[in-house]
Amino acid sequence: MSNVLEVRDVAKYFGGVRALDGVSLSVPEKGLIGLIGPNGSGKTTLFNVITGFYVPDKGSVWFKESEDMVRIDGLNPNEVFRRGIVRTFQIPRLFNSLTVLENLLVTPPGQKGESITKALFIKSWSDEEREFARRAINLLRLFGMSRYVDSKIYELSAAHIKMLETMRGLMTPAKLYLLDEPAAGVDYPVARELFTYVRRLREEQELTFLIIEHRLEILMEFVDYVYVLHNGKLLSEGRPQEVISDPKVIEAYIGV
Amino acid sequence: MIGFDVVGFLVSWLTLFGIYSILSISLNVESGVAGITNFGKVVFYGIGAYMSAAITTYLILILNGVDVDKTPPYNVNGVILLGQLGNKDPLLNLGLLVLSLILAFVIAGLVGYLLTYPILRVGPAFVGFTLLSSGELLRIFLLHYEPVGASKGLMAIPTPFGWMPDSRARDIAYLGLVLGFLALTYVITNKLVNSPLGRTLKAVRDDEIAALCLGKHVPRIKATILFTGSGFTGVAGVLLAYYLTSVNPNMFVPAVTFNAWAMIILGGFGNLRGSLLGAAVITFVDRVLTFVTPYLGVTVISPDYLRWVIVGLLIVVVLLVNPKGLLPERPIKTPATKEVWKELQGEASEQRS
Amino acid sequence: MINFVQYSFFYLILALPLTLSYRTTKVINFAHANFVTYGAYIAVFLHGIRGSNSMALAAALAFLIVGGIAVLNNIAVFTPLQRRGSSPAILMISSMGLWIAYKYVLYMLTDVAHFFTSKNFVSYGRITYSDVPRMSMAGFDFSQAFVAGMISSALVLVALYLTLEKTKVGRAMRAVADNPTLAGISGIPRGLIINLTWFICGGIVAVGGVIWTSFSGAITPEAGDSMILQIFTVGFIGGLVSLFRTSVGAVLIAGIENIGIAFLNAYFSVPISFKPFLTFATLITTLILFPPLGAGGGLPYRFLRRGARQ
Repeated sequence: MSNVLEVRDVAKYFGGVRALDGVSLSVPEKGLIGLIGPNGSGKTTLFNVITGFYVPDKGSVWFKESEDMVRIDGLNPNEVFRRGIVRTFQIPRLFNSLTVLENLLVTPPGQKGESITKALFIKSWSDEEREFARRAINLLRLFGMSRYVDSKIYELSAAHIKMLETMRGLMTPAKLYLLDEPAAGVDYPVARELFTYVRRLREEQELTFLIIEHRLEILMEFVDYVYVLHNGKLLSEGRPQEVISDPKVIEAYIGV
Repeated sequence: MIGFDVVGFLVSWLTLFGIYSILSISLNVESGVAGITNFGKVVFYGIGAYMSAAITTYLILILNGVDVDKTPPYNVNGVILLGQLGNKDPLLNLGLLVLSLILAFVIAGLVGYLLTYPILRVGPAFVGFTLLSSGELLRIFLLHYEPVGASKGLMAIPTPFGWMPDSRARDIAYLGLVLGFLALTYVITNKLVNSPLGRTLKAVRDDEIAALCLGKHVPRIKATILFTGSGFTGVAGVLLAYYLTSVNPNMFVPAVTFNAWAMIILGGFGNLRGSLLGAAVITFVDRVLTFVTPYLGVTVISPDYLRWVIVGLLIVVVLLVNPKGLLPERPIKTPATKEVWKELQGEASEQRS
Repeated sequence: MINFVQYSFFYLILALPLTLSYRTTKVINFAHANFVTYGAYIAVFLHGIRGSNSMALAAALAFLIVGGIAVLNNIAVFTPLQRRGSSPAILMISSMGLWIAYKYVLYMLTDVAHFFTSKNFVSYGRITYSDVPRMSMAGFDFSQAFVAGMISSALVLVALYLTLEKTKVGRAMRAVADNPTLAGISGIPRGLIINLTWFICGGIVAVGGVIWTSFSGAITPEAGDSMILQIFTVGFIGGLVSLFRTSVGAVLIAGIENIGIAFLNAYFSVPISFKPFLTFATLITTLILFPPLGAGGGLPYRFLRRGARQ
């Protein structure tokens, strides 16, 4: 099976700190891949490099577009998004003055009503918007949040905010989803529900996921391959069972 | 009160209200909705006003066969000639109005568009300051640029309705024009805000980095909004120039920008009706002060200074006491959100019964 | 050339407090312009009403009064707003409101002073101080203004340096600037330090204003406003973070304004009054080439792409 995303020997330095130091990994099509590692190991930095938030100091990032691999490092975040990579943030960055529904509706890219000329004519965009609203409601219902449709973000609990951040990512059609700790602070049953939904999406719509997660007990049950980062370097990789029993990983996590 | 001219007061208040409302509404779209801290409103206002003043005075003289190299509109002879020639041909005057409006919209818009380039990537402090200082630069430029009259400015600008014999009818016709443009501005901006575009603008305001990562082309969005907002501001400038029939550089000081800011803060950030309300209140106080001042005689402290202290304190006090303003921002209304709301209401009542 | 040196110090003394206050308090303060004007007018009122010719007295009074005003601003406006979690933009707008209010309060004060003394305070001439010596050195005859400016700038800068580097207070100020939360946990009285920062910053800028009265021909209530472009540009060159880069900015802007415009005037007959355009061009260049991402936001958007190939 061919790869959707390839990270080749990427390095990123902040002053003297080597946040990423020669990391290579690949994400196959329809993959459900985990990315784990202790705090400060460079997971989120890697997401930031992939999504164009940072330009890597070394190495390159490639993404499959139609049949070819295209180099995407150095592109701006919005361009990376348009190519089909959606990311969520570890610390949710929701739009605080918008309601829950609006947060979801704002996400789909290239909406007709976003053009300044078309925005003036309701008829030209209202059908499209209804469709988005339908999708948003279905998502909210699925995760038992439909009664919060009109709530403001500050009225939600931390777990709901985290869920909404992930749902906002899922609102958009994309090829690759980068989820940054989707289960952090979320109740165990809901978190499992979320991962089940992710797995279903992958089966039904042939989507690909790369997921950072600290809660290994949930992650390991669902993913089919895991990369472990430590101090900006790839420490280990393999199937969940292999990785969990890798002495290097145990050492890094326990912290010697 | 001896001979208090109620109609005259109302007409002058409403005209100023109209002009300032266009200013405050467009500022609210830029700053309240899209989060661009535009402290340089006066740049585009000034461009609009000078554009119409220059076009009208020069073209009227040229079309009447006056050699503007010898008698430019800013010297004494030019001003006298303008008084004689300016208000004869209704078609010409109205044509010049249309021409000024179009040019002012486009040029002010383009300047706004270009000014977004340096400020795209930096925080609100830098955006505000850059636009603020471009206002001061425009003023310095106008002060020293001879063809627009340098420090004297341009006077005796022929007005679109100057050919009407009755001055009251002229003022009322002009009021109609101003209110017409206010209505147009309000309808257009209201539609823009209550659309997916408006939602995206608010998203950019709340967290532009997240918006960028969600695929919104933040730079292009900001540039488009500053183009549109500045265009409308240019139109307001045109209307001001024709109303006052003269322009000079010292009319376009940063204080004008703050006036508009006080209006949107008082009325409510991100609420267009609030801007109307804010503009109405502040222009009303303004007009009352202007009408009352002559009755006060000579005072130790000029009432004009007091007025500005009030405007400044108003901004601070509203932010401290009621930061949402008189009319708080409301969620965007679109057909889809209304339907969702109704549907969920229905569900809730079913569950109850 | 003398102008260049003089203005370098002058901008330094006005812009360093801007950077310092932003760094520590996270408020971008447009009322900074008032500090300059109020400093200048304390000297003017002393001179015009009390007939005092002492620069030392004016500077000391200006430091205390304007420092007090700065602290008052903070207690009455900025702290309540920050406590409510207002955005930097809101803080900035509130400082703008203060700016305009203070400016016209000063106009009102000049009206009142005019009423009592019938002197024109809205445009006041240069003040000659009695406690500043004339000096000549190496064949140059330095004006009184130059000497006054040099001595007081040097004094203020040395004092500021020593405070920041050598005292407990200075270290606390830096701790609050770098990591407010941590500073709070480690027992530094954050509110007190912020008020102290405002006091020092307001005071220093006011002394700058007093210095200005010794060489400016026309002191008006717009004085601070006319300098705000230069002050903020200098601060922005430092990214509102680095004191060292701010100092470089002060020298740079002073050079551009005094040497650059003289050059353009001589060779291209550009009018001297257009020198703000050069400063503005510097500002725009700074924003485009070195976007100060550190201070108050910043978008990870690149106009020129690197590394991407199609």
